[in-house]
Amino acid sequence: MKTALPEDIAEFSAVATKRLVRFGGPQAALHAETDDQLRADARTALSDLGAFDLDVRSSSDDLLAAAVLCQAAGATALPYPLVEEVMAIDGDRLALVNPEAPRIDHGDLPGDWIAADLDGTRYRVQPSSRTAAKLGPFLVPATLSPPDGTVPAADVDLHLTLGSWRIVGAVQQCLEITRQHVVARMQFGKPLAEFQAVRFTVADAAVAARGLHELAKYTVSRIESVPAQVRSADALILRLKAGETARLVLRTAHQLLGALGFCDESDVSVLDRHTQSLIRLPVSTEVLAMRLLPGIRDGGFETLFSGPVSA
Amino acid sequence: MDYDLGTDAVELRKRLRDLISTHIPEGFLGACTNDPKDLATTESFCKMLASDGLLALAWPKEHGGGGGSVWQQTVLREEMWAHHEPRGAQYMGINWVGPALMRYGTAEQKARHMSAIAAGEVIWCQGFSEPEAGTDLASLRTRAVPDGDGWRITGQKVWTSYAQMASWCVLAACTDPNAPKANRLSLFLVPMDRTGITVRPIRSMLGPHHLNEVFLDGVEVFPDEVLGELGDGWRVMREALAFERVGIARYARCESLLDRMQTELGDDWNELPESIRTRWVRALIDLRIARLLAYRAVSLQDDPSAGAAASAARIATTTCDQQVAELLFDVLGPTALDSGSSAALHGAVEDHWRYAQAATVASGTIEVQRMLVARETLGAHG
Repeated sequence: MKTALPEDIAEFSAVATKRLVRFGGPQAALHAETDDQLRADARTALSDLGAFDLDVRSSSDDLLAAAVLCQAAGATALPYPLVEEVMAIDGDRLALVNPEAPRIDHGDLPGDWIAADLDGTRYRVQPSSRTAAKLGPFLVPATLSPPDGTVPAADVDLHLTLGSWRIVGAVQQCLEITRQHVVARMQFGKPLAEFQAVRFTVADAAVAARGLHELAKYTVSRIESVPAQVRSADALILRLKAGETARLVLRTAHQLLGALGFCDESDVSVLDRHTQSLIRLPVSTEVLAMRLLPGIRDGGFETLFSGPVSA
Repeated sequence: MDYDLGTDAVELRKRLRDLISTHIPEGFLGACTNDPKDLATTESFCKMLASDGLLALAWPKEHGGGGGSVWQQTVLREEMWAHHEPRGAQYMGINWVGPALMRYGTAEQKARHMSAIAAGEVIWCQGFSEPEAGTDLASLRTRAVPDGDGWRITGQKVWTSYAQMASWCVLAACTDPNAPKANRLSLFLVPMDRTGITVRPIRSMLGPHHLNEVFLDGVEVFPDEVLGELGDGWRVMREALAFERVGIARYARCESLLDRMQTELGDDWNELPESIRTRWVRALIDLRIARLLAYRAVSLQDDPSAGAAASAARIATTTCDQQVAELLFDVLGPTALDSGSSAALHGAVEDHWRYAQAATVASGTIEVQRMLVARETLGAHG
């Protein structure tokens, strides 16, 4: 068993993080809310990193590289639909949507889109325009065509998984910002980090973030080798846990940063607002949990005691 | 990156499940019951494991062990705990007394004790905690006063699991009250039938044998019974306990109980309230994460950069234990409190709930684990 990322992937992760930090990090994402050029520049940064040459569907190395690239994009709130473009079909970006209320992150960018729901039903898309929302500022309501075929279930699973890696990055970065804040911020004559209540709160968030990262590595490492039923359950499991861990860690960050964390000049505010689209969409964590129920009985949700599922 | 336990570990899991299904009676809930047949079951099972080289699987072959890989050891931990620890109290001798003897024992101590432990012939208990020293073991007060060539030990131990069953004890006592805290303690290997030792069981919600008091009244101990150097007990104790730092594979029993409960419910599972079934989903997710954190800690166990990996695994695992206990009680509703063989899963659910209450207390409280994670994350403030 090897639970660490391969060395070359770890190196690529460091390079990707450095490049996206150089692009501007969450503050660049903030400016992108009002300056479209920054989204074009974000694409250039991704292109420099070879993002759009990655073949995530058939190369496990490329998939791992895409995962850590998404992690870096999540940590910097990169204002670009990276997952959607990496998962493009015939050049059209692929968005996962809830047909009851379709919203597409960065759906206003030039280029064509297709959409799929979690069942893999495919739709043609007519995006409208952005709504200047605080939460998910790049979300665009869209109109869907009637069902127009399907996308492979594997594409849905990959999409959910890579989106979860973006959440992993955001979670880790929020924890790091919180760590820096409580070590530096003095209250009652000593750093916040010396108060046991603060230490325990940070410890709980750290364990949650660490657990999510292990789950993300595990999920992506076996996505190509497990039966389809197990793969789909794995992707739902990861996305559900990513969403709920993000809620916990963001709450911790806001609580410990106090009013500062609500200000856009704090990266926590930007990370929070910009990650909400991944946490809440295409469906809530409660809906994800409901979708996992059949897997508990049919073995798709693998445990130490579940029976084998046919390949 | 791969999460393959390896063919040998996968085969071991199958073999252990076969052995357990053949030799452990249905409804077995461990050695800590009022039925002496349960203790007898563990004794015969340990001897059978020993004869197959599986009891001391983790030990090097030169010490009578099986030389198993860390992933075989992990599977052994998972399967034993999932099936209510059919090794009974012997796991303590196997998991840390033996390894401590390997590292610190004299040739005579090894010759005397190791083959007996590997053969499943002896139960050990651990005389560490005291009424005034639980988590802060360096503060314990039991005194070993020089007497002739050896010492006489007087004091009181508490929460001592298996003390009534055990024939030997690793006993911590203060040999020099004036020394710096780290050098006050020494460890002694003491037979439990020695004059001056009195064991009093403590009735508890956990069940029999889990908790005892051990009174020590001028117990004579000898130089050849000191484990490690005199005054070095604190270091030996810390290192010995580190052999178990990943902790019990509680996630495995939780996964087993959920699987068995689902089987028992059959189609009625679909009729459970939606809120219960989605809690079930979340419990299984948290158990998967606890298992992955444990695997991460195992894979880093010889890595100096491991940091608080084991503490993170323990926090995740112990909290899952209680989460699943509550979930299963809520599944059972009005029959949750029923116990004994006629209760759900032969009483395993009720038994699990009671024992899970100690999960975040035993073998290092969750607060200590949080302190270790915080120290790694935030530095040594506070």
